[in-house]
Amino acid sequence: MIFLYIGLPLIVAALLPLIGRASKKLLPDVLGNGVFLFLLVYGLTGAKSLISAGPVVQSLDWFGETTALKVAVDGFSLFMLAVIALVSLCVGLYSIDYMNHYGSKANYYALLLLMVAGMNGLVLVTDLFQVYLFLEVAAVASYALVAFGLEHDELEAAFKYLMLSVIASAAILVSIAVLFGMTGSLGFAAVAEGLRALNAPGVVAICAALFLLGFGLKAALIPFHAWLPDAHPSAPAPISAMLSGLLIKVSGVYAMTRIFFHVFGLTPALSQVLMWLGAVSIVLAALLAVGQKDMKRMLAYSSISQVGYVVLGIGIGTPLGIAGGLFHLLNHAVAKSLLFLTSGSVQQATGTRNLEEMGGLAKRMPVTAATSLIGSLSISGVPPLGGFWSKLLIIIALVQSREGLLAVIAVLASVMTLWYYLIMQRQAFFGKLNERWAAVKEAPFWMAAATVILALICLGLGIVFSTVITTWIQPAADGLAKGMGI
Amino acid sequence: MILQIGLLIGLVLSSVLAILAKDLIKAAIALAAGSLLLGIVFFRMGAPYAGVFEISVVAGLITVLFILTIALTKAEGEVAESKAALWAFPVFFVLFIAIDALVMKGLMNKIPALPATAETGVFGDVLWKQRTFDLVGQLAVILSGVFAVLALFRKRDKDE
Amino acid sequence: MNSTWLLYMFFSLALIGTGIYALLAMKNLIKLFIGIEIVGKGVSLALLATGYAKANILLAQSLVVTFIVVEVCLVATALALIINVTRHTKSLDVRSLTKLRG
Repeated sequence: MIFLYIGLPLIVAALLPLIGRASKKLLPDVLGNGVFLFLLVYGLTGAKSLISAGPVVQSLDWFGETTALKVAVDGFSLFMLAVIALVSLCVGLYSIDYMNHYGSKANYYALLLLMVAGMNGLVLVTDLFQVYLFLEVAAVASYALVAFGLEHDELEAAFKYLMLSVIASAAILVSIAVLFGMTGSLGFAAVAEGLRALNAPGVVAICAALFLLGFGLKAALIPFHAWLPDAHPSAPAPISAMLSGLLIKVSGVYAMTRIFFHVFGLTPALSQVLMWLGAVSIVLAALLAVGQKDMKRMLAYSSISQVGYVVLGIGIGTPLGIAGGLFHLLNHAVAKSLLFLTSGSVQQATGTRNLEEMGGLAKRMPVTAATSLIGSLSISGVPPLGGFWSKLLIIIALVQSREGLLAVIAVLASVMTLWYYLIMQRQAFFGKLNERWAAVKEAPFWMAAATVILALICLGLGIVFSTVITTWIQPAADGLAKGMGI
Repeated sequence: MILQIGLLIGLVLSSVLAILAKDLIKAAIALAAGSLLLGIVFFRMGAPYAGVFEISVVAGLITVLFILTIALTKAEGEVAESKAALWAFPVFFVLFIAIDALVMKGLMNKIPALPATAETGVFGDVLWKQRTFDLVGQLAVILSGVFAVLALFRKRDKDE
Repeated sequence: MNSTWLLYMFFSLALIGTGIYALLAMKNLIKLFIGIEIVGKGVSLALLATGYAKANILLAQSLVVTFIVVEVCLVATALALIINVTRHTKSLDVRSLTKLRG
């Protein structure tokens, strides 16, 4: 019942305000996290066996009558569903404590569930217009979540994010209209077939460019990144984690990848464009991250940079490259959400995000410092953590495809990433304890627990990376390479 | 066809007016007029449902929300638009229209298309049976919008 | 594709371009919202015109109806944000929203 991935969060979200009247904090916490836990467990166990024979299409039967609610699952979608469920569970657990002083928890969990339902829907549909529709579902929920604290910064960031997203939506829809006009259908397979029959590379290039504009905006690739460095720092920490860890990847990278691979087919020209866009993002965002004083802003630029790695990996087009890109997607989702959550713990304890005001927090907040260090090392590509393996795969794939320059860029940028993360760690956690923070306490239980879980997963991904790759990444990459055949 | 072109020109002009108008209420009326014209265009294309939706929702509901917002933010005073932006607009507009027309002319007969298959059924069937998933998406986005507005307008409790 | 479709797309792109200009150049928050609206009109025209050209008018209508519903939710959220912003900055000027740089 893959449809539960969309239906369950939707129904629980709809019921939450009623439940919220009865119980302001406990029941929303339990229900929200319960849904995430269920989706994660289901994804890891039951759903996995579904696709062992290949991609699967499921229709929802409504009282014996088959409806048109078809969802399609292949290795790639299932991989994304698992990543979404994992990160949203940890974010949900973290929110139990963090969102206490924002008020209206039922509303918060409802929006969070709707955002997850939208992302799950995006991953499961096979129709161009529905990709847009669920993208908007997640987006509308995210605007409200970014502005949830109702402070000036949050509202400003949410508004700018909204405006740029409108441009993205327009680009995507115009492209869909042109594709519909050419092929007369909206489903992935039908459009792909139609485009093959028509053979019109010029118009396809225009549509691809429009999709690149639209989804690139959502993924915050440079030069479409302007909204992210404002939105992610201002939003409440768990929402920054959701946005950086999931939303930019699902509504940006996944949508782009799915459409480019299954509808257009990855031509050499498209491959080059993707690789260089990725490379530009990696380098420019890393440079911009170096001078940042605001902890979350540095993390935001780092997100842009790492998404560049994912796009670079996927753009290579070879199985190894795609596997590297997808593995990096997983690593970054886990590590970046971990880092945003720890930054939220720091912000809650000290009241500031300014790195220059912090110092020596490791003495008072050991758990937060340790988990943050693990996350930083993973993203920077330090063995044996997960990020090292994914970056290695991408670099090997680049060398194999004779893209020496890009490989060098990837390696150098990785070194730069390590540098600014070490600066951040030193300024915030290590070194002399700033007297102002002599009395701060470690983060509350659920916040710390969530970060510990994510840190353990970072370690786990690094240690058992080969198992992870064979059971999760390989089917995903195969799913991309083969097409859904529906 | 001539009437369609006329209506569409009217639509573009009223949109331009909505941007350039100094008084926000006049802008709202221009926007609503544009939606009305678009609804009529839809009707004449043989799309009555889209036309009805456009007129009742965009020209009606959104205009009401719009005027509500103007009323709620009325005390905030005038905002002088930068002269540069307002003067640049006609230039930009003419340029954009020219490029638009040239591109369209260039694309004439260049965009291949598969032959259209005939459509069967009625609108209700298409919406409910063929595009059922869209309805799920609509439900989700409506819930998102409702909760977004509730979240943004909530009263801050004392324990914050 | 036939010239009728191109004619409609001409107008649709004109609207979208005008809307995006408004989004990027206007300073009054409410004018920015007007820009969003105009972009929406352009997009629904594009969708419907494509359906018209393919004689798939019913499918196009369902797409446009769904799109309008999405637009309403977007508008409601945007207006809620605008009202909240004015409560903070006491002004409708987007220039007052420059605390954060891109």
